[in-house]
Amino acid sequence: MISLVEAADADAFATLYDRHSRAAFSLAYRMMGDRQASEDLAQDAFVKVWRNAGSYRAERGSVRTWILSIVHNRGIDQLRSQASRRRTQDRVEASAPRSQPSEAFAETWRNSQRDQVREALNTLPPEQLKILELAYFSGYTHVEISELLSLPLGTVKGRMRLGLKKIRDFFESRDAAVPR
Amino acid sequence: MSEMNHERFEDLKDAYVLGALPEEERQSFEDYLAAHPERQAEIDELGAVVGLLAFSPQEQEPSPELRSRVMEVVEAEAEPRRARRQSTFARIGDYLSVRSLALGAAVLLVIGLLSWNVLLQGQVEDLQGRVQHAQGEVQDLQAQVEDAKERRQVQQSQTIPLGGAWADQGANAEVASIRENQVILVANNMPTVPEDRTCQIWVISDDVPKPSGLFQPDGNMTATPITNPISEADAIAVTVEPAGGSEQPTSDPVLLAEL
Repeated sequence: MISLVEAADADAFATLYDRHSRAAFSLAYRMMGDRQASEDLAQDAFVKVWRNAGSYRAERGSVRTWILSIVHNRGIDQLRSQASRRRTQDRVEASAPRSQPSEAFAETWRNSQRDQVREALNTLPPEQLKILELAYFSGYTHVEISELLSLPLGTVKGRMRLGLKKIRDFFESRDAAVPR
Repeated sequence: MSEMNHERFEDLKDAYVLGALPEEERQSFEDYLAAHPERQAEIDELGAVVGLLAFSPQEQEPSPELRSRVMEVVEAEAEPRRARRQSTFARIGDYLSVRSLALGAAVLLVIGLLSWNVLLQGQVEDLQGRVQHAQGEVQDLQAQVEDAKERRQVQQSQTIPLGGAWADQGANAEVASIRENQVILVANNMPTVPEDRTCQIWVISDDVPKPSGLFQPDGNMTATPITNPISEADAIAVTVEPAGGSEQPTSDPVLLAEL
């Protein structure tokens, strides 16, 4: 599929878009918090996917992970370039309520990764989750987070480390590698 | 800012993969990483953990207008891009054919000269040298074209690795397209399953899994044809089913590849 996109096949790109646009837009919306800005970000990211399909490397992860990393990187660029940050506290609330994994096979394969990630995030203490979200979704640096939450920088870095370790431990405890 | 060293690298690596280092610190971290490539795998692994956060937001539906806008850009650029690619291939082909003709003419000329007059030996030798040089150039070009063809074939016959619980335990499985419309699942180092169970391949499109082949891991490499087309599929999965296979999956996938 991605090699067809690289060969400038617009139909192949349309299929790629249909498969991944919802996940990409969901991430954009989580970062920007506004539909118009999220659509602009998703459009920008998909145009980059179209123009740079040749830079995808399968050994570094799935196509979806690659597309989401483009959305994320461009989202961070945009958040940081905004003169006045409109990021509000509601963006750092805990992640969406955990959905019950479905018994149905089709749901299992499609949702398993998202459910597992949410489940992993739900194992984090709120103070660790909040710091990961401030960094990842809102684009704050560790120094900014330290100022925002009035915490010592060492505490912020420590919570980042513990939070990421806990996510990794979640998958290892289930005898599963971190999905890519 | 402190100088980057092992301790500082350890201290900052989590913030780095989260994209939470200020610019100057990030640059310093990346310089250190470039000088210590052995640490890249560790950063990649940590980056994969961070990448999972991208999957966690609650799902939102993009508007149809977004698709229209994106496709408008894509369709406007598709034709010129294809034309550029074809033009590049055509130039290589033209260049090769001109060189081939030049080589043929030079060889004929050399043969004629050899049989015509030994007094022209010195000139012939000179021409032979030129011919050899031309041959070398043609061979180089042919090699480049063959290389390009091979790369294209590799792209067309791409393989897709499967992940999942068994892959995590050391099984290697990948979907390989051996020629157009012929796709196989190659598996190695798979766990054995009881005699009354079998591995079943599923091709999943629009949430519907279609039974697409059975195989029995026996400790050796297996290659199983996938009996349904995968060009429009969303994923390929393997489950363990009762011997003879099932109409619908009865267990969670042990191997899975999203396409």
